[in-house]
Amino acid sequence: MSWYWKEVNREEWMNPGHLACQGCGATVAMRLALKALGPKTMITVPACCWTIIDGAWPNHALKIPMFHTAFETAAIAASGIRAALDVKGEKDVTVLAWAGDGGTFDIGIQALSGAAERNENIIYVVYDNEAYMNTGIQRSGATPYGAWTTTTPVKHPEERPKKNIVEIMSAHRIPYVATATIAFPDDLVRKFLKAKEIQGTRFIHILSPCPPGWKIASDQSIKVARMAVETKVFPLFEIEDGERWTINYWPEGRPVLDYLKMQGRFRHLTEEQVDYIQRFVDHEWEKLLKRHQETHGSLPEEATVSASG
Amino acid sequence: MKVLEKSEMKVITGNHAVSYGAKLARVEVIAAYPITPQTTIVELLSEMVAEGDLKARFITVESEHSAMAGCISASIAGARAFTATSSQGLALMHEMLHWAAGVRAPIVMANVNRALAAPWSIWTDQNDSLSQRDTGWMQLYAESNQEALDFVILGYKVAEQVLLPMMIVLDAFILSHTSEPVEIYPQEVVDAFLPPYQNPYALNFDNPQVIGGLADPQVYFEFRYKLQKAHERAIQVFKEEGQRFGELFGRTYDTLEPFMLEDAEEVLVTAGSTTSTARYAVQKLREKGHKVGLLKLRMFRPFPFEDIRQALRGRKKVGIIDRNLSYGHHGIFYQEIKSALYGQSGAPLLFGYVTGLGGRDIRAEDIEAIYEDLRSRTEPQEIIWKGVRL
Amino acid sequence: MKKNGNPYEWTADEFPEVTVSFRDTRGVKTGSWRNLRPVIHDQEKYGPCSKACPTNTLIPQYFYQFLERGDLDAAGQVLLKHNPIPSITGRVCPHPCERACNRKRFDEAISIREIERFVGDYILDKKGQPPAKETGKTIAVVGSGPAGMTAAYYLRQKGHRVVVFEKDPKGGGVLRYGIPEYRLPSEIVDRELQALERMGVEFRYQTKVGKDISIEELLQTYDAVFLGYGAHLERRMGIPGDEYLMSGVEFLRHVNEGNRTPPGKKVAVVGGGNVAMDVIRTLLRLGAEPVLLYRRTRKEMPALEEEIERAIEDGIEFQYLTQPIKAEKKNGKIVLTCVKMQLGEPDRSGRRRPVPIEGSEFEEEYDAVITAIGEYVDTSFLPKEVLDDHGWLVADKKTGKTAIPGLFAGGDVVSGPATVVEAIGWARRASEHIHAYVMGEELQPQPLPKTVSFLLIQMEYFQKKPRVAVPELPVEERIRAYDREEILGFNKELALQEVQRCFLCGTCNSCGNCYVFCPDAAVEWVDNKPQINYDYCKGCGICSAECPRGVIDMEQERLF
Repeated sequence: MSWYWKEVNREEWMNPGHLACQGCGATVAMRLALKALGPKTMITVPACCWTIIDGAWPNHALKIPMFHTAFETAAIAASGIRAALDVKGEKDVTVLAWAGDGGTFDIGIQALSGAAERNENIIYVVYDNEAYMNTGIQRSGATPYGAWTTTTPVKHPEERPKKNIVEIMSAHRIPYVATATIAFPDDLVRKFLKAKEIQGTRFIHILSPCPPGWKIASDQSIKVARMAVETKVFPLFEIEDGERWTINYWPEGRPVLDYLKMQGRFRHLTEEQVDYIQRFVDHEWEKLLKRHQETHGSLPEEATVSASG
Repeated sequence: MKVLEKSEMKVITGNHAVSYGAKLARVEVIAAYPITPQTTIVELLSEMVAEGDLKARFITVESEHSAMAGCISASIAGARAFTATSSQGLALMHEMLHWAAGVRAPIVMANVNRALAAPWSIWTDQNDSLSQRDTGWMQLYAESNQEALDFVILGYKVAEQVLLPMMIVLDAFILSHTSEPVEIYPQEVVDAFLPPYQNPYALNFDNPQVIGGLADPQVYFEFRYKLQKAHERAIQVFKEEGQRFGELFGRTYDTLEPFMLEDAEEVLVTAGSTTSTARYAVQKLREKGHKVGLLKLRMFRPFPFEDIRQALRGRKKVGIIDRNLSYGHHGIFYQEIKSALYGQSGAPLLFGYVTGLGGRDIRAEDIEAIYEDLRSRTEPQEIIWKGVRL
Repeated sequence: MKKNGNPYEWTADEFPEVTVSFRDTRGVKTGSWRNLRPVIHDQEKYGPCSKACPTNTLIPQYFYQFLERGDLDAAGQVLLKHNPIPSITGRVCPHPCERACNRKRFDEAISIREIERFVGDYILDKKGQPPAKETGKTIAVVGSGPAGMTAAYYLRQKGHRVVVFEKDPKGGGVLRYGIPEYRLPSEIVDRELQALERMGVEFRYQTKVGKDISIEELLQTYDAVFLGYGAHLERRMGIPGDEYLMSGVEFLRHVNEGNRTPPGKKVAVVGGGNVAMDVIRTLLRLGAEPVLLYRRTRKEMPALEEEIERAIEDGIEFQYLTQPIKAEKKNGKIVLTCVKMQLGEPDRSGRRRPVPIEGSEFEEEYDAVITAIGEYVDTSFLPKEVLDDHGWLVADKKTGKTAIPGLFAGGDVVSGPATVVEAIGWARRASEHIHAYVMGEELQPQPLPKTVSFLLIQMEYFQKKPRVAVPELPVEERIRAYDREEILGFNKELALQEVQRCFLCGTCNSCGNCYVFCPDAAVEWVDNKPQINYDYCKGCGICSAECPRGVIDMEQERLF
């Protein structure tokens, strides 16, 4: 009983006193990721919330070396560090690119695609809060259908589904692509531990709730993230070598409304829009199930509950 | 000109001279993207890496923006980084050029001067590099393929001392694709001149720090002041290292290079390969008895104010040949030299000639015509166009 | 380049060339952003079980000792703080705790009573340490039932000399003479009394206060007196032929005294309360064929639901809506005349009042008829000052104080017939006030702990799991075995299995959620427990929202 999280150690690589908002999901994500990766990690951060979170000069929140880089360059900046370490023979260092959804789905996708296609030996993390939060909640390619942002106002909310970054990345045939979220620390940490042992480009997509941007109370970050998984809005899975798909957690399969109604950014949705989202989520889940089945031959017992849900 | 005992003379293009310069400088990370007329620089480098002649990682990035970003992070992670580009590619890098200077990454980059689109052009002019003059990069303009090679080595030597990035500039085709004899120095002599790269601020685990983070208004200004001070320091460092380079390799470099300047009343100012054409023209004019001289601008950033004042003080007239133009204003070298001379006693009259944009030839006759024009003028004038059909 | 002091005051020369950090963010005290403060109330709150328990037993707290630390002795010590005789309540308590259990709204309530029985039995022969120090004060306790035992235990624990006056030859009161053996073996009562004796409690058996010694004498001799005897007088039906009807309380006493012969084969039991259930199930076990007569329906029966169910499982016949109106004796048999009833308007108790149906009278012949329609307290020997107009004893429910200084009371003697655990609770509270009284101290009122409501339980951290089945005698065996306990109870393994289901409302089990989910790394882990670093906690509330068991509260930050 007692300690719930067998994968999560109590080593701390992030200091308190950083500048994240109350209840910041991106910060939980970083803390957990570093617990898995440990001190032999170099990190590069492009323009994103973490540019601010880490603190202003002369402060630094993380206990690992970090390099700030321009918005669209996370993947190449990490590749450059990797190249430097390679020529110096420092093979045991993990190089981590840590970018937001804007820096990944949008402005940084070119450098990311380049790095992935070259199979650069880096871990690339997108901590996805589904909009440009640092600049004050503008839509990004990661903003889901129906969401309010300051550039998709309630009268004209986001009209396109979220870009499927995971499929884009797996299409690069990189060795490891995974989704994770802060409500499932063991799963998240396990994926980082696994990624750490793999050579080549590893891409981890972390759903990171943003209280101000999602219009949730600051204590709801974990709950919302969990509900995203339980409603299949954000399934937890991994793709190896662009081919082997594995669902890591079988959700209860609650209605998407349970997720949407927790967040002010979806408050304006009509019943029809919610239905549309439900159908979309179901459809995506079916595709995922098929891929899991193709990989593993069958579905586990837990799957039957959630498949019908 | 003596050649070092173990040197190898090769007849190579300016681009390959740059490649050999990078190899001799033992660059460790190359991140580059193809663009005419730069491409053959990195082609040769990639061959050298593949052959094992150069122990480096070559990152075949997907854009010049990434080329520069990769060089910056590699440099900050402790590797000697190199790239080459041209024109559109340089323009695309613009953001990262600021970044490189801001984090004080001593990268050396070759830029092959090429006119910017639109309309498309692949031929030379200086607007691409001069558009980057406020990014915090040092800039050296090469007149010959040998200079191009030398500047790579000298560039790292200076850059790594003052922690500033260095752009070495050579003209498209006239240098980049034209072969001439180039002395390839023995590696051990280069090694004696250029020690391995050490950056005291590089990322490390002993002191896990962050580089380039947020600087609030109470501290940003001081960092920018220091960037300027580094540039000011760089002039002296360049002079000293240029001297030392001469002692080791037989070619001494200073910020400027005078030609027949001693008693000259009228002076022409040039940069890059036009200088060679101008040398020929000036020589001919001298033969005709004109008291004309030539001043070659080698270092454009940091700008050698004091050297320019020294060189031009007491002359009657100075004609500045700009293969570039700051639209809405004037030729860029003209503006810069003017600013150096403003309010100086004994300052000459300055005339700015804009010519050769987009690779239009600048022939010896054109230089002579410019001189004739200069002689005829008594009043300063805005832009004096040469070679454009009016 | 400098590294100390405030960079805002440095000259440019003192700056590094590159914007490279040289401090961590711990200099930034983000705690100042906070307007809500998380407060860890580990083991300071009540679970709804403790709140519902009349003696406020700290159930999650002692479960924690058992479950998380595997320390049954420590668990027992926590349990004994509020209940000195858990082996008894572990068998007979109507467990209001289980009705209040938060887990009941998730799947099924925890078998709190069965776990209590297991732990209670475990410590039964271990407890009973004499106090470390004697106070020199003496206290008389009247009655050795649950209230008397409780007062004796806690007062002796404080170091007072305690003398218990008991009219019967053996101690335990209702526990011995009222509750049948198959529910509570007298051997258990003996061992509980032995524990008190080990502590140094003195017992004066066969000493009836009011006859052998007066209250006034006690008050003169002792520093304080506690009245804790029970309601052992049986109400009469007040119908013609009342004298032919046997008292249920008396019947149970006879059986408990060793008389295992039923008063006949065909026996009617009148009533629907717990005593009626004990009587009728005892009769069955002694070989009679009893039938229950009750004037209302099963829904209105005041007996515990599980006792009713067990009686039905036993195969006992219930005749509802049946009210005796006359008893006659003919040929050694009792002829009982009854009338059928129907339910009318609700009465003061909220139950529908039974109304006779005219002309429905019928007669039935029985070997014996036993009534169990309610008990009451003998107050005849008490000083008039402590009685009300109806002759009932008046004592404060919180303190046990009566109108006479030094005379305290608690349990059935004040409330009339109630449960064992209510008597324990009352006596426990009274003992604190008796202690304060004899020591001349002022008892400071303690704020009532907050209760962990169901809303504070985070369901996502729990998995559904049914209650662990309690081993019992099969029905066909138990109905023939008056002297064998029908509930066999948990062994350690089963107890542990069941206690694992507990949410541990309000008790931190070091699950780590608050630490793992803190975005500010402001929850520190010290000695396997969380500690909040208020220098940095921004008050987001995640630790509280994700605490599975309501340990952490967000409280308004006070500026001044």
